[in-house]
Amino acid sequence: MRGWCESRRRPEPTRRSVLRALGTLGAAAAVGTLTGPRPARAQALGQQETVEAAMKRVFGTRAIKDGSALVKLDVPLIAENGAVVPVSVEVNSPMTPSNYVKHIYVVADKNRIPVVTKVTLSPEAGQAYVGENVRLGETGDVRAIVEQSDGTLLQVKREVKVTVGGCGG
Amino acid sequence: MSDIGKVRLRVPSTIKPGEVVRVRSLVIHPMERIERDKQGKVIERNYNYIDKVVVTYLGKTVATFETTQSVSENPFFSFTFRATDPGQLKVTFTDTTGGKFEGSADIKFS
Repeated sequence: MRGWCESRRRPEPTRRSVLRALGTLGAAAAVGTLTGPRPARAQALGQQETVEAAMKRVFGTRAIKDGSALVKLDVPLIAENGAVVPVSVEVNSPMTPSNYVKHIYVVADKNRIPVVTKVTLSPEAGQAYVGENVRLGETGDVRAIVEQSDGTLLQVKREVKVTVGGCGG
Repeated sequence: MSDIGKVRLRVPSTIKPGEVVRVRSLVIHPMERIERDKQGKVIERNYNYIDKVVVTYLGKTVATFETTQSVSENPFFSFTFRATDPGQLKVTFTDTTGGKFEGSADIKFS
């Protein structure tokens, strides 16, 4: 099960392998099942894509401001084991029904599935804080993107050095 | 693993009314990662991982986590809620194969 580590680089496609793949996929593409059977819910968030594509898909062209004054992203500088990296995000917010933090996204730039978690908070939470353990495939930035109830997006980024990749999908 | 779905919730032992309480939760779950064949192509199947965590307190949703395979095995989440009244705090984990795991804690004031 662990043999096919996700953080391992994909082998470069040769002309032959591309042609072969195209041939076998031709029939599948015709019926529109190229991506194969996947639950619809998982497809909404956990897709394999680059971080740029993910940001564009989730946030569109909305402006993302620097949130270092309000958002505290707590990640280790060096993660010895990429399979378990504790991440916590704390936002300085009054959490009243008129002004609260709506969503907190955790994004790992170098993961095959960059969007790690989307958290939806309600004012009852009392404080905008979430913590979790994430997988990191390799050294790269971890971002926290905060969406406030008025729609402003704030972002904080920190680099995490990963010694042993966690095959983070 | 027969332990799949075991949920652990940790709340502070003393809670004052109106206090913002930080809760830690953990569920035993493999969170399967994507597998590839020798050509590096993704093997398409329904991977078993937790994709939703819902936290409710007094029947009201406090927080919802939508998670992907980038979350660690045996996922750990922490969050906060404002303890206004004694009642039940419930955390529900849902995975992609339809598994549903629940953990709850009774919030009492001392």
